[in-house]
Amino acid sequence: MPVDRPTFSESWYRVAQLRPRLRSTIQVHRQHFRGQLWQVLQDPSSNQFFRLNESAYHFVAMLDGVRTIEQAWHACAEQLGDDAPTQGEAIQLLGQLYTSNLLQGELPPDAEGLLRRFRKRRSREIKGYLGNLLFIRIPLYDPDRFLNRWVSVLGWVFSRPGAILWALVVCSGIYVVLGNFDALLKQGGGILSPSNWPLLYVSLVLVKVFHEFGHAFACKRLGRVNGSGGEVHTMGVMLLIFTPLPYVDASSAWAFRSKWQRAIVGAAGMYVELAIAAIAAIVWAHTISGTTVHAIAYNIMFIASISSLLFNGNPLLRYDAYYILSDLAEIPNLAQRSRSYLYYLVKRYAWSVRNPHNPAHSGGERVWFVFYGIASTIYRALIFAVILMFLANRLPKPLAILAVGIGIVGAFTWLCVPLVKFVHYLAGSTELARVRGRAVVTVLAFVAILVMCLGIISMPDRHTVDGVTDPVGMSVVYARVDGFVVGYQPSDRPVSPEGDPLVRCVNPELTARIERLRAEKRKLLAQSRLALSEHEVAVKQVRAVQLADLEEKIRRAEADRDSLVVRAPKAGRWVAPGIDRISNRYVRRGDVLGYVAEAEKMIIRAPAGQRIAAMLIAEARQEVDVRLWGLPDSQFRGTIRTIQPVAQVDLPSAALGFSAGGPVQTAGDDPKGATAEKGFFEIIVTPQDNPGVKLRARQRVIVRFTLPSRPLAAQWWRSLRLLFRQRFGV
Amino acid sequence: MSVAASTTWRMLSARLPAKQLPSGLDSAWDAAGGYARRLFVRPGKFLARAKKVLALRKRFEDLSDARLREEATEFRSRFRRGRETPSDVEASYALVREVAWRQMGERPFLVQVAGALAMDHGCIAEMATGEGKTLTATMPATIAGWRGRGCHVITVNDYLAKRDAEWMGKVYHFCGLRSAYIGQEMDPSARRDAYQADVTYCTNKEVTADYLRDRLSLGRLRSLPEALLEKIVDGAGRGTDRLVQRGLNCAIVDEADSVLIDEAVTPLIISGEAPNPEQVRSFAQAAELAGRLTENTHFRANHRYREIDLTDAGKRRIAELAETLGGVWSAPRRREELIVQALTARWFYLREKQYVIQDGKVVIVDEFTGRLMPDREWRDGLHQAVEAKEGLEVNPPKDTCARISFQRFFRAYRKLAGMTGTANEARREFWQIYHLPVVVIPTNRPCARDKGRDRVFASAEAKFLAVVDETRRLHEQGRAVLIGTRSVRASEKLSSLLSDERLEHQVLNAVRHAEEARIVAEAGQPGKITVATNMAGRGTNIRLGRGVAEVGGLCVIATERHEAGRIDRQLFGRCARQGQPGRALAMVSLEDELLQRHAPHVSAALRRRFGNSDREVSSPLTRRIFNLAQRRAERLALRQRKSVLRSDDWLDEYLGFAGSER
Repeated sequence: MPVDRPTFSESWYRVAQLRPRLRSTIQVHRQHFRGQLWQVLQDPSSNQFFRLNESAYHFVAMLDGVRTIEQAWHACAEQLGDDAPTQGEAIQLLGQLYTSNLLQGELPPDAEGLLRRFRKRRSREIKGYLGNLLFIRIPLYDPDRFLNRWVSVLGWVFSRPGAILWALVVCSGIYVVLGNFDALLKQGGGILSPSNWPLLYVSLVLVKVFHEFGHAFACKRLGRVNGSGGEVHTMGVMLLIFTPLPYVDASSAWAFRSKWQRAIVGAAGMYVELAIAAIAAIVWAHTISGTTVHAIAYNIMFIASISSLLFNGNPLLRYDAYYILSDLAEIPNLAQRSRSYLYYLVKRYAWSVRNPHNPAHSGGERVWFVFYGIASTIYRALIFAVILMFLANRLPKPLAILAVGIGIVGAFTWLCVPLVKFVHYLAGSTELARVRGRAVVTVLAFVAILVMCLGIISMPDRHTVDGVTDPVGMSVVYARVDGFVVGYQPSDRPVSPEGDPLVRCVNPELTARIERLRAEKRKLLAQSRLALSEHEVAVKQVRAVQLADLEEKIRRAEADRDSLVVRAPKAGRWVAPGIDRISNRYVRRGDVLGYVAEAEKMIIRAPAGQRIAAMLIAEARQEVDVRLWGLPDSQFRGTIRTIQPVAQVDLPSAALGFSAGGPVQTAGDDPKGATAEKGFFEIIVTPQDNPGVKLRARQRVIVRFTLPSRPLAAQWWRSLRLLFRQRFGV
Repeated sequence: MSVAASTTWRMLSARLPAKQLPSGLDSAWDAAGGYARRLFVRPGKFLARAKKVLALRKRFEDLSDARLREEATEFRSRFRRGRETPSDVEASYALVREVAWRQMGERPFLVQVAGALAMDHGCIAEMATGEGKTLTATMPATIAGWRGRGCHVITVNDYLAKRDAEWMGKVYHFCGLRSAYIGQEMDPSARRDAYQADVTYCTNKEVTADYLRDRLSLGRLRSLPEALLEKIVDGAGRGTDRLVQRGLNCAIVDEADSVLIDEAVTPLIISGEAPNPEQVRSFAQAAELAGRLTENTHFRANHRYREIDLTDAGKRRIAELAETLGGVWSAPRRREELIVQALTARWFYLREKQYVIQDGKVVIVDEFTGRLMPDREWRDGLHQAVEAKEGLEVNPPKDTCARISFQRFFRAYRKLAGMTGTANEARREFWQIYHLPVVVIPTNRPCARDKGRDRVFASAEAKFLAVVDETRRLHEQGRAVLIGTRSVRASEKLSSLLSDERLEHQVLNAVRHAEEARIVAEAGQPGKITVATNMAGRGTNIRLGRGVAEVGGLCVIATERHEAGRIDRQLFGRCARQGQPGRALAMVSLEDELLQRHAPHVSAALRRRFGNSDREVSSPLTRRIFNLAQRRAERLALRQRKSVLRSDDWLDEYLGFAGSER
């Protein structure tokens, strides 16, 4: 029947004469969602919620145990016209209420059915656990009495004065942090190092305990204020990626009428955490570095601010911010419904399914769904991959197999199961009965395009390695003689032997000595002229020797004097960072004045790890792209000259080491941080002439190597294999 | 003090097994179990046991009647106590065989005993038609009767129920059992009496309807304690005292494939009158308004799925037309629903095709069998829309009081077995839905059927001409010809073609069972031509006339392949029974409904390829397509039946507060 909502149902006879009613303990809360009135049914015993729209509630509310369902349905149809639920919808609604244990029939409850449902729910929960291995919850304790006792003492935190105090604390925390920003950054590198893990974990648990109690107390307090109870009955341990953390179930806050109050309960955890972070910052700033208190304060500060905002404050993950967002946007089940909305779009537009179920109730929701559905899916996949990589890299080798296990389970639950379900749906769904051909063809076409993109079309395969520039020839300019510097060329200028001298010195003593020697020579010459008359051969000979000696001395001294004017040994760039400091100072022979570097003949030394080096040796193109570190636009080309055939550990520059913020892990016992922990192959690249970019010596650059193009799938497969080989030797 | 039959208490105290269809991996596992079962439950096993039974003939042959009765009593008490051994079962079979010989002059053959053993083992026994299934059923029924919890033998119609119960009654009586049958006109007390008998012959409709009526009279009583309390509080004459059945314990289903598969999803409905003059008026108004809409501007008719789609202009037009009517017409959804229904009735439900008018009433014609179905009604107001369209008096839709599909009903039996001529094709379904393995019992005498290969034609026209040619050829040889058609229209067309050729023939459709059986029974006379819809006279033996066997026996021509291979085989099974000669072939065309529905693209491509030529286009490829389409149809049907069962299960779970229907 091509009617969207057929009025009659052939199963109606089964319910028509019954007189069920909502269970007397059910509480009903009016709430508005995006301008529409909904009634939220709450079962206090199980803390379950059920949302009904206006017409459905109209029908359910009419069931008072006296009217039959038939009567209620007719009354509804008369009052609401087309909006009234059809018989099919009424049956569905009653069934859902019944299976949620909200409905009470006149029949004694079917105990077997109840138990069956319980077992079913149980097994669904267990399946949910197994499907969600990374986020397992184990309830342990009912904190309600504890909270009742303490809420009057601690609840003020969530009042207006409390908020003002909070703002003050947080402001002062920020002030302290800004004041000590450098120290903060310096300590930042060590936070994820294995030695800090125990402390980090202790701090994490501490912070999360406060976080959870923040939710609990906020729920309790606001529940007292608005009179809806705000009961909190479950507290326990959540295994977040196998890391035990506390959690509290404050879902009774959903019964609050004001969405802002619900949002406060949702945000209470972060609210508390930020205050803790501020306090920790103050403690950290006022304790001495190296003490335990200092270290704990630092960890707490880190967790309570950054991690809290990154995870709990991110609505794309299903933590606090998600619930706050979906609540404030007035879209319950945002994540789930946005996914089904995306399916709906496919069904409707790609497959032309007739009357697919549309989960969106208004236009605004559609936008939300599309945006959120896409963003959260991508983000989830991303975060999963990042967590996996982190675990695979950081866990000790025997435990790293865990990461593989998680990866397999994750791939199974998030890839295989939905895939099998999808194929099943495609093959057997009654919804697709008429458009199955089209649906199958579109899916196959999509898969074909995907396969083509990933598996057939070759994509450039590039890898980057950090390196430093190194001048090919660099002459050190020394002072050849002692002297006072009287003139010099400023650093960083092109110089040549014929051009202006680099440094001009004076040495009065040298000048004096030359004068003296010359005078001596003159004296000797005069004496030898006198002695000509004497004709003494022997004396003559002695004088000649003395003269020659003297002349030699003069020549040397004159050479020394010439050396006072220091010229460039070759053409190049004059590099003398400290030259202005030696102006008018006395330099001794052998002092380094500066360097002359051959600017145009720079090479790049890039230490490539074994993994990349192997690929490069095998098949890299000679041409590479080089960019200056920190200047993404400064691209120029270069060619690989050699790849050093022997692995080495001495870094070409400490700038590439871990301790200096570089990518290469350095050996712990090297104080200079210029020795790599693992051997690498040095790749030497000759940059091509590039007028646009001025290379300087010892500059950090990024070298991008290009391997022959190949399909993305092949690239990924290789990376995965390499990763496995590296980690597990398989 | 109030008294109630102990059987009633037993029925209430024993909970029926809550069998839900497995889903997901469970169902795959279950299906694998079915395959494994098929490997172990082989006919050879039953044949071997049957040989043992035959070997015991001597033991009972020489006993006097009185002695034999004593033996039967002895067996009865042993079975009643549940102390029987396998050898007891074999001995008792031999005893029943002897009784059948003494009382009826027939001694069950080896294959009959094997089939009976298979059924006792909880299987579907596939036994070729004409192998004496009625007699076969007596053996397991006797044993079930001895066990004391009653046994229902399900037949396809009242006539067979009565005939079999009376025919086999002597055997049961000799064995110390009482047999009875349920007739359509029986009153509750007679029915109660019949159900109390050890062996009850009844039709599937009667037994299901009685079950539903029992449920209704039980009302909310679902368990023994409740029923006892009710009994104490309210005294006699209510609730349990009005029950007629004594629980669903054991059933032997004759023509199991037709009952358990073809009719599986047909719901049996107990309904009451619900006069509603306003609603009745609205149907008439809808019919009137629907006449004022034009196709394509106001609505589109989709013939493939038999659906009406209203266009926006149509919706506006309806709103305009209905403006002054008020009542249900003020709400758009309801009025559009009514109009769509009226249009559906007008466009897709044609007089003489889907229904006929008898005594001012719309009577549905079953499209597959061509039979009239006077007690059936279309659902959801469609019946009323058709009545309104024909300008008849509109009867208000009846109120459903209780409803169950045969599929669900038969699954409720504690022990189910069946026999039929054609089961092997449906073995998957028998296993998955009823957990019944199928055992193929060989025929008593080797089958002499000459099964010709399918002859394929490009167009339906060419096919019919070829059928007439073939018929004339066979007729001239003096052979009997039975032509099976799928629809009343096809049989009429063929009839006119045969008349044009001056070939005398009988046409059989939409008439009563007894007459039907008579016509079919005569189809074996020399030179006789019979055109019949497939289901006509099922279960009736066609005896060959004098001299027909010598010229090759009866020839069955199927003019179309069916949605299930089983039904083809049923038709072919009409000839060459009990070792007689016979020939069967199918003459089909690329325009047949089977291909149109289940292989539309391939058949269209082939039609283009062969053009509109009148010649025969038989080839392995074209034949294959028919098999393919048939398999697709079978799979689709199984999936649909399973989904009906699943949605019933779902409803049962969700409507727990309304009480389970089980």
